[in-house]
Formats: sequence, structure tokens, C-alpha cells
Amino acid sequence: MLARRPALWLTLGLLLTLALLVLGLRVGSYATSYGFILNTFWHYNPADPAQLALVELRLPRLLLALLAGASLAVSGYLLQTLVTNPLADPYLLGTASGASLGAIASYVLVPSLTLAGVYLPPVAALAGAFGATVLVVALGSRRGKILPAPLLLAGVAVGALAAAVGSLLTFLAAPEGSLRSVVFWAFGSFERAGWSVLPYPAAVLGVSLVVLAFLQKDLNLLLLGEERAAALGLPVAARRWLLVGLAAALTGGVVALCGPVGFVGLLVPHLTRGLLGTTGRYNLLGCAVLGGAFLLACDLLARLLYPPAGLPVGLVTALFGVPFFVYLLRKTT
Amino acid sequence: MRFFLLLVPLALLLGCHSESEKTALVPVRDGLGRTVSLPAHPRRVLALAPSMTEMLFAVADTATIVARCPQDNYPAAVYRKPVVNNYPLDLEKLVLLKPDVVFTVEGITSVDDAQRLQQLGIPVYYLRFRRVEDVFKGLEEVGRLLGRQPQARHLTDSLRQNLKTLTNAPIRRPISKVLAITWQDPIYCYGQNTLFTDEIRMAGGRNAVTETFPQPYPALTREYILKLNPDVLLGGSFGKLDSTFFKNYPELKRINAYRNRRIFPITGNLLERPGPRVVESVRELQGLLRKAESKPTVSAR
Repeated sequence: MLARRPALWLTLGLLLTLALLVLGLRVGSYATSYGFILNTFWHYNPADPAQLALVELRLPRLLLALLAGASLAVSGYLLQTLVTNPLADPYLLGTASGASLGAIASYVLVPSLTLAGVYLPPVAALAGAFGATVLVVALGSRRGKILPAPLLLAGVAVGALAAAVGSLLTFLAAPEGSLRSVVFWAFGSFERAGWSVLPYPAAVLGVSLVVLAFLQKDLNLLLLGEERAAALGLPVAARRWLLVGLAAALTGGVVALCGPVGFVGLLVPHLTRGLLGTTGRYNLLGCAVLGGAFLLACDLLARLLYPPAGLPVGLVTALFGVPFFVYLLRKTT
Repeated sequence: MRFFLLLVPLALLLGCHSESEKTALVPVRDGLGRTVSLPAHPRRVLALAPSMTEMLFAVADTATIVARCPQDNYPAAVYRKPVVNNYPLDLEKLVLLKPDVVFTVEGITSVDDAQRLQQLGIPVYYLRFRRVEDVFKGLEEVGRLLGRQPQARHLTDSLRQNLKTLTNAPIRRPISKVLAITWQDPIYCYGQNTLFTDEIRMAGGRNAVTETFPQPYPALTREYILKLNPDVLLGGSFGKLDSTFFKNYPELKRINAYRNRRIFPITGNLLERPGPRVVESVRELQGLLRKAESKPTVSAR
């Protein structure tokens, strides 16, 4: 197996990402050639609507997909490590249902969708995501220590509660149009991408990857279980808090911007471990690269299959992710 | 004594039976091509869509209309009717109201719900509209089914006449591309296969969306709208859309409609209801197009 050659896989992943980015730049309502893309980047002329579409719409969309995929995959990896459960995903902390509740509440309760000049849904989603996470962590910790099993259960409970309140709001929704927004939001989409929204997820991902670069060994120790990790000198409680904090920051921003895009955070960590080994040194980097490439590919496919608006990306991640996931499962067991 | 008590409901049942036998059922084909059995002279009718309610009030004997939906608000007389929920469908209330036929429009009532109603003995008659002429034909059809042919004919004659007078005006060139949006996030619009396409054509413009999508009201990307570059945008006043729509999607500020401030609100419930006010809707669109053309052009493209 090639499992012990991380450099090769990482290079392949990066090349794939680059190829997908270039391919992605070509797909849209305006027909675009490679020459046109090059020309746009050399002499950008915002007066040309096709060039504007390329730079202001397609590129930020692709970058958002890349950042979302990388963030969700890294977050999934962290949480799977934290609770030592292969079924854990980034939404374990209640992030997705909390964000959904926030977004639904703004769609249903504030028909103008703006408050003091601020477009509300992403802000409300972010607030919901962090609110739910804080609640889950509060329920999943005792005397300043995070306990993985109660954390899992608290995540399920808070998630179900937020989903129920969200459904209630949806059901009671007065303006019929807002139902469309709610449904659209629930599938996940990169349609709202723009340069102004990219700095947050980019900064969080950057900081997380730098911090985690020093902690890969600690993560592997955590996999041994609390007692053995502590016996080997690891400050277990502190590390757990750090992981939860990073995972929440990574997931919250992405969910607020893109909606609850499913599956990437569950699938990619497994894929990474399959390729780079369970305790590989570059696993987190691998997660980021493969996660980004995976969502880029899904978004590209979504836009190719159903132009112009594209299929909801969450549907594509599931449709293509699940068979692949099953294949991985069969192969490893 | 007990024996007689038993007889009472039996007699009632028989009574109902003989009454329903009097009103023989006639099979007819509705707008979706479904075969529906209706009584020859329906005496209790209702509509499950606001546009259909407007049609009933225009054609039927208003005393035969037994209920309205929560969204119905035109004509004012609807408010005198009891309300029945159309979404989710209040089956019990419908059974209680015992309508002879329920009218609805394609896309508003699910075929599943219609099936349920049919099983409960309430026939559901669908209409579908692609063009303005279909609305007139629909009015005549409702008139025929309700035994009110002369009234319906009278109405459609005058509507056709009004429309003719309206569309007799010479068409000015170039013909404006008009995009009508129904929702901002995601951006939904009136697609090619909606009545809007025919209405705006009659008003002297054309639907900016020329591609036909599976959904009548497709979601559009910003890039797609940029490429359409509509001359006129309908869906809100300039000020309102400037502070919401164009604030969220600043890239779209370069479309002709924004540069020339040819952005207008449309009367709620007029464009979206294919009913007897369809000519009024065409008149409004025509007025907006004239207003648009009277504004100075900033971009020459």
C-alpha cells in the first residue's frame, strides 16, 4: 500500500485541487475558455460582465467551497478524535441544527431579513451555531472537564431540540416564500459567496492548521483513551477544550455561510486515515486538502448537472459520498 | 319504540340517497387531463386557490360559493365566506362543507390531496394556464360546468375586448427584456413557462428568461442574471431593492435595469393570480413599461 507515503498523496491532492479550481472557473452562464481566464487575470476589466462574473462570482464561490470542505473535514477529524468514535462529524456539537434554527428564525420572524442594515440570516445562523455549541459543551462537561460520552448525547439532544423548534417555526411560517428560503438553506449552497465573506473561514482555518501542526502527536495520544494519554503526560482536559473550541469555530462559520453541507466532515477524515495511516503526521493537512477538493468537485458536479443554479451541494455530497463511504467501510473491515 | 328510533337514521340515509340520485354525475376532463365526475348542476362550490376564488366570484352565483381560503382577499365579498385551510388541507372542514365540486389550479393543490378529496366524495377540478387566452377559456369552462354560460361569455367577451384595445397600441422598439423576481434569497423569478411571459408580451415587452426550466419559478444565479442583463426589473421599488436585493448582490448593480433605475413594484396578488383581473395585470405591466421608457437611458448597449 501507498499508505506510508504522505508526501505523494498530499501532492496529488493539491494538484487535484488546483485542477478542480481551474475547471470550476470555466463553468457558468458565460462560456469561458482557458485563454479568457488567463486574460482576465492579466488584465482584469470589471466593465466586462463576463470578467466580473469570473472574478466576483465564480472565484469566491470556488474558494468558499474549498474553505468549507477543508474546515469541515478538519473539524470532523478533531471531533472523531475527541470522542474516539468513527461516527462523529462536525455537527456533533449541535452546530448545524443551531445554525439552522438561527437561519430559519430570521427567515420566518424578520420578513425584511435586514436589521440595522445588516443581512440577518448568516449572522443569526452564526449565533445559533455558537449558542447550540455552548449549550452542548455545558451539558457535556463536569467541573471544567469535557466528557466525550455525555458530550455526544448532549449533541444529539440539543440537535433534536433545535430541529424541533426550527420545524415548528417553519410550520407556523406566515409568508409562504420563506419556506423556499428555509428549504434552500437546509441543503447547503455556495451561491451566496462573495469576497467579503471569505476572510472569516480563511482566518479560522489558517490559525487552526498552524496550531494543530504542533499538536498532531497529542491528537494521536488522545486516541489511546483518557487514562493512557494522561499517563503519557498529556494534559487531557486542556487539549479537549482546545479541540472543541477549534472544531466549533471551524464549523460555525462554514455553516453560517453555506448551510449544513453534510457528509464531507464524516467521509474525508476516514478517507485521510485510509490513505495516510491512522496516526499519520500530516493527517490534518491531508484532511484539509482532500476536504477542499471533495467539496470543489461536488460543487462543480452540482453546477454541471443542473444549470444554472445547480443542485444543492448537500445532495451531491451525499449521493456521491455515501457509495464511496460504503466502499471504504467494506475495504477496511 | 326502539325499532322506530333505528328507523330514523335509516330514513335519513335513504333520503340522502334519493337526493344524490337526482343529481346525476357527468364525467368531464379537467385541465390536467384527469376524468372527474361532477353533478350536472353544482350548487355548492369552492376554490382552493386565490385566483380560482376570483374566477368563481366573477362567474358563479356567489350564493353557491361555500368557503374561501385564508389567502383570498379579492373581491371584498370573499370576507363574508367561512375560511377553509388549503395548506395543509383541512379535510374535515371540507367534508363538513360538502361542496359538489372543488376548483383549483395546477401547482397549488397537490394531486395527492385531490386524490384524498376524491375518495371522500368531493370531486376536484383542475385548471391550468399557460397563456392569457387560457384564463378566458378557463372562465368559460367554469361557466359551462356551473350552468352560468351566458354570464361567463359576457365576462370573457368584455375582457377580450378590453385586452384588444389595450394591445392595439403600436409596439415600441427596442423591446425591453423584463425580469420579474418573486423572492430574493435564493433569487426566484417568473420563468418562461408562466403566464407572465404572455402577459409581458402583450404589454409590449418580453420575459428576460427565455430558457425553459423544469420549475415554473426557477432559482437563478447572479451570473445568470448578469448575463440576461434585463432592461426592467419587477419585484419592488428602486429604493426598496437598492437597500435589500442590490445590497446583498452588489455585482448585479451593473444590469441595465439598475443603471437606468427601471425597477418597479407590482401590485401584490395581481400578477401572480391568473384570474379575471388578468387584463388589469397586463394594463399595469404596460403602464410600467411606458414609465420605464420615459426614463433617460444611461447605458447605451
